[in-house]
Amino acid sequence: MRRILFLLIFLPLTLTAKLNIAVSYPYIGALLHEIGGENVKVTVLAKGNWNPHFVVPRPSLISKLRRSDALIMNGAQLEIGWLPPLIRRAANTKVNPNAQSFLNLSHQIDLILKPKSVDRSLGDVHPDGNPHFHLDPNNILILAQKISDFLVRIDASNQQEYEKNTAVFMKKWKHHLLRWEDVMKPKKGMQVIQFHNNLAYFNAAYGLKNIGTIEPLPGIPPSSRHTLELIKLIKKNKPSCILHDVYHSTKTAQYLVDKTGIKLIIMPHDVGALESIDSLVGLFDYLTEAIDYD
Amino acid sequence: MKKSTYLALCASTLLYAEAPAVKPLSQRTFSQSQFIPDISLIVDTSFAYRNKDQDGLGGLSIPGVVEDFFGQGETDGHEHTGYSSDNGFNINYAELVLSSNVDPSFRLDSVFHFGLDSVEIEELYFTNTTLIDGLRIRGGKILSNFTRFNSQHQHFWDFNEVPLVYKGFLGSEKLNELGLQFQYTLPLEEYVILGLEVSQGDNEKSFGNDTLTLSNAQEIKGADAPSLLVTYIKTSFDIGDTTVVPGFSYIHGQSRSLDAHDGHEVAFDGTSSLYNIELTVKHYFDSYSFLSWQSEWMRLEKKGDEYHLENNVLEVHDQKIEQEGYYSQLVYAHDQNLRVGVRYDSIYKNAYDFSEEALPSTPYKRYSAMGEYHFSEFSRLRLEYTHNSALFKEGVNGFEAENVDSVILSLNLAIGAHGAHDF
Repeated sequence: MRRILFLLIFLPLTLTAKLNIAVSYPYIGALLHEIGGENVKVTVLAKGNWNPHFVVPRPSLISKLRRSDALIMNGAQLEIGWLPPLIRRAANTKVNPNAQSFLNLSHQIDLILKPKSVDRSLGDVHPDGNPHFHLDPNNILILAQKISDFLVRIDASNQQEYEKNTAVFMKKWKHHLLRWEDVMKPKKGMQVIQFHNNLAYFNAAYGLKNIGTIEPLPGIPPSSRHTLELIKLIKKNKPSCILHDVYHSTKTAQYLVDKTGIKLIIMPHDVGALESIDSLVGLFDYLTEAIDYD
Repeated sequence: MKKSTYLALCASTLLYAEAPAVKPLSQRTFSQSQFIPDISLIVDTSFAYRNKDQDGLGGLSIPGVVEDFFGQGETDGHEHTGYSSDNGFNINYAELVLSSNVDPSFRLDSVFHFGLDSVEIEELYFTNTTLIDGLRIRGGKILSNFTRFNSQHQHFWDFNEVPLVYKGFLGSEKLNELGLQFQYTLPLEEYVILGLEVSQGDNEKSFGNDTLTLSNAQEIKGADAPSLLVTYIKTSFDIGDTTVVPGFSYIHGQSRSLDAHDGHEVAFDGTSSLYNIELTVKHYFDSYSFLSWQSEWMRLEKKGDEYHLENNVLEVHDQKIEQEGYYSQLVYAHDQNLRVGVRYDSIYKNAYDFSEEALPSTPYKRYSAMGEYHFSEFSRLRLEYTHNSALFKEGVNGFEAENVDSVILSLNLAIGAHGAHDF
C-alpha cells in the first residue's frame, strides 16, 4: 500500500522530468534513443525476436501504454493484429492515433509492393504495401528526420538538443551507408529465396532479387506442394541462398537445403532478433556481411 | 512471359477503350466509402455424433443446476439452443460484427448473433476513453468483463461449450447485460485494473427483478432496475516469457424466477451473489507456440423465499442455495497450425436448504479434449471429444445418472476486417 501511494505521488514528477515514449518495435526504440538522448525514456513494446505481425498482446503492455507520453509505431498495418486493443484499453489520450503525440512512421515512406487488389485468398496481404521498410538503411535517414521533427513538436524546449543529436546521427549513418554499399556492391543481381518477403526493402536497396518464398502466400504456412515447386525452381534458377527470418521454423528451409544444397542464412529483422544484434548499425553490419557470395 | 503480359495488356486496353474511366475510391468526389465501418462475419458449422439419439438427449439435466441440458429451452421469451444441439449437421451461429469510431469521443461496437431462425443483439455498446486517463467507459449491451472468459465471444473459446459453472450459474449466454461499465487502469508499473458495472440485472439463471404473478394471482414484488452490481480487480505480471493473470470478482443482485411444469409452480424471491477467482498462466515459446493454463473457481449463493404452488396450495419456504464449481484447462499451441487442449469441469457443491426431492450427490463432472488445425488466421477445423457425466434423468426412483459422450467436428470461418488478437 505504501508503495502504491509512493508511486502515485512521485510518478507524475518523474514523468515530467523525462518524456516517456512507447514504440512498437526495437528498431524504433534504437532510433529514438539516438535522437532523443537523455531527454527521452524509451519503452519498447515488442520483442526483437518475435514475429512483428504477431506480437503477444500481454496485459503488461497496456500498463506501459497507460503511462506513456507519446507513441511511435511502424504502421502500414504491421501492428493491426495486436496494438489497437492495447491502445483502447490503456485509455490514454496521449497515445490515441488522433493525438499530436502519436506518430505513424509509414506515412513518411513510399511503400513498395502495394497490391493492386486485395483478397484473403492471396494470403495475409498488406493493403498499404510491404511494411518492413526499415530494412532499407536509406530509409533510416528519413525516419530519423521524422522522429526528430516529432520530438521537436511535442517537446519544443529541447529542440536544439534533438536537432544536434539528429545531425550527429545522420553524419555517422551516411558514413555507414557508404560502407554497406561497398560490401553489397558485388552481390548486386544475386537471386535469393526467403521465408516471407520481409527483406523486400533491403533487397531493393542493394539489387538482390527475391525469386520465391517458402510460404506459398504471405502468412500461409509452407505446404508440401509449394515446397516441391520451390525445389524445381531452385534447381532451375540456382539462387544463391535462402534468407530466413529468426521467428519461423527453419524445418522447410532445411529440407530445401538437403534436397538442393542451397545455402541457408539467418537474417535478423530487428534489433534484438539475435542476441548479438544490439544496435541499428549492428543490425545492418550483420545483414550486409551475412550474405557471402562465391 | 513478359511478352504475353504485354499482349494481354494491349488486348484489354482495346477491349475497354470505350468504357468510362472509373476513378479510384479516394478521388470520387462525394464517395463516402472510406467511412464504411469495419465489418466481419464469423460462421461456425459442425457435425455432431453422440452415444445417445435425439430423444435420449431430451430431458437430461444437472438437477438443481441446469434444466434440459441439450434442450431448446425457452427463457426470457427467446430460444436458446446449445452448441451443436442436434446430432448430425448444425449451423451453430453467424456473428456479424460492425464497429467504427463515431467521432473523437466515441467508438461504437456491435455484434449480431444469428441462429438458423433467430437474430439477437449480442453486444451493442459505445466506448469512451478520452474523459479521464486510464478510464474506459462503456454503455449498452455488454458481455461483462468480470472474467477473461465471460467477455470472450464464442469463436474465441478454446472449447465448444461454456464451462459448466457458467452454464449452471449464468446460462449459456453468460453475463450479457444492459448497463454501464467503468474500467480503470491504475497508473502503476504493474498492470492493475478495477472494474465496476451497473446492470439492468436480467440474467437467465441467477439474476432478475421482474414482478412475478403465480396462477393463483399471488404477486411477488419485483425490484427496481438497475439491480445488479459487478465488481472486479485484475492484475498481470510477466516472468520472462510467462504471463500470469489473476483476478477476483464479486457480483451481487436481485433474483426473481418462476418455473412452471406439470402444474407445479416454483417462484424464487431473493438475492444472488457470485464470487469468482480466476488465474491464467500463459507461456510463449515463440510468436506462435504457447502453453496456457486457465482456471476459474465460482461460488453462487442465493438467499430468499421460495414459493411452491400445486393444486392451488401455496407453500412458502426459506431458501438458501449454495453451489460451487470450477474448470481448469490446458491448451498447447504447437505452431500456427496445430493446437491441442484438455479441460476438466466440476460442480462439487449443490446444496439446497429446501428441496422436494434428494439431489444426486456431487461432484458433477465433464471432461473435454480437443485438437485444432488452423488453415490460416481465418479458418479453423476443430475435433472435440466430450465425456459428460454431470447429466441425470428423472426416473421412478429419483435421478439416474446418464453419461453422454460426444464427438463434434466443427469448422469456423471468418471474413472481413481483421480482428486484433486479445491476450
